[in-house]
Amino acid sequence: MTKKISLCLLFCSSLSGYTVAEDIELLATSLSLSPKICITSKDEEICNVEVVLEWRLLQERSICILSDYKELKKWCNSSPGINSLAVNISADKDIQFVMIDKDTHETLAGVKLKVTQASSPQVRRRYRNPWSLF
Amino acid sequence: MHYLLALILTISSFAATAHASDDACDNNTDCIEIGRWDIGIALGYGTKSNPLKDFDDIPLYAVPTIAYYGDRWFFDNGNIGYTVTEGENYTVNIVSTFSTDRAFFYRWDPSNIFLLSGNGVERSTGMSIMDTPAEPVIDSNELKNRNFTYLGGVEAFLYTRFGIVKASVTHDLFNVHNGTEAQLRWLYNIPLDSWNFEFAAVLDWKSEQVVDYYYGIRPSESPYWSEKYQAESALNQSIEFTGQYVLTENWNLLLVARYTDIADEIVDSPLLDTDYTTTYFVGAAYRF
Repeated sequence: MTKKISLCLLFCSSLSGYTVAEDIELLATSLSLSPKICITSKDEEICNVEVVLEWRLLQERSICILSDYKELKKWCNSSPGINSLAVNISADKDIQFVMIDKDTHETLAGVKLKVTQASSPQVRRRYRNPWSLF
Repeated sequence: MHYLLALILTISSFAATAHASDDACDNNTDCIEIGRWDIGIALGYGTKSNPLKDFDDIPLYAVPTIAYYGDRWFFDNGNIGYTVTEGENYTVNIVSTFSTDRAFFYRWDPSNIFLLSGNGVERSTGMSIMDTPAEPVIDSNELKNRNFTYLGGVEAFLYTRFGIVKASVTHDLFNVHNGTEAQLRWLYNIPLDSWNFEFAAVLDWKSEQVVDYYYGIRPSESPYWSEKYQAESALNQSIEFTGQYVLTENWNLLLVARYTDIADEIVDSPLLDTDYTTTYFVGAAYRF
């Protein structure tokens, strides 16, 4: 019984050590976007903006950026030292960006550009019929 | 009163089948943009009948509309108000408005400005007001001034699924007649695609001072009639219909009709020769 417990402890500690190391790396990995929100004008529904994606990794490695934006289906850095990307966006809906490991295809981080229409003008009740005949 | 009841029953039954939206701002007649002037003009043809003897009906060729609503203050076709409290189902305003009675006497009364007309109120020439040949004549050209005044008071709206109920009480602000008016209005809006129909039934109560000031006879006008006609408070009843068809963002087709049953207490005045007044207007409206 004691031997079984010892084996388990040994196995579990080695397994948890691996998970913790992986978690630390994921926590240290980040993908940021600036700006995060694009507000369309009142008349136009299309958002036109240049956004900058920046990422931080615990260790240098090659990554790829995937998105559901038609002009940027997939982009991969040519060298591990590149850690930002500027993209001109013209969109009428939200865009999701995902960063993956180029070699393992492991998902590392994600960020969303939110496309919001300009707020509608404030209105209130009108108390008279505009064409009321006195 | 029967026609009011019939109208309410008819519209209520229609309302049960109509698919009216619950949204209070579902068309441009219900709501207005805060902080922006709403200016428009309707061009067409119509008539406002004049119940006064020897006074012509008022032809209508253009009906302007101008309104501005702030967060609480508002100006709407000559009415100035302040919203004291408002909820989903109610509104209470302090409001100033003006009497409609003077409009029968004077072309440039504010009530007639918003019914911009061609010839306006004119007395028929060569005629005199008389009841029977045996009774003394009142020369309509010798009538004393019926001055303009503003009324101030409180109005409340209740928004229900069966329409909007408005109640208001206003009093003369400038000691012109020192009278009081009260109004109870029920209206129902039915938006159907590009159409919008608004029905209203109105009870207008006027105090004795108001009736006497506009429809009473001064001793200088006719000693006989100033004695014979004694004004009393009166209750007018009206039904209104406004139909609009949206052509474009700026253009609407417009049909407005109103019938007012004038109270007996006013009809008894020797100045009147009909017991009702009607208004209709058909045209195209442009909102800037």
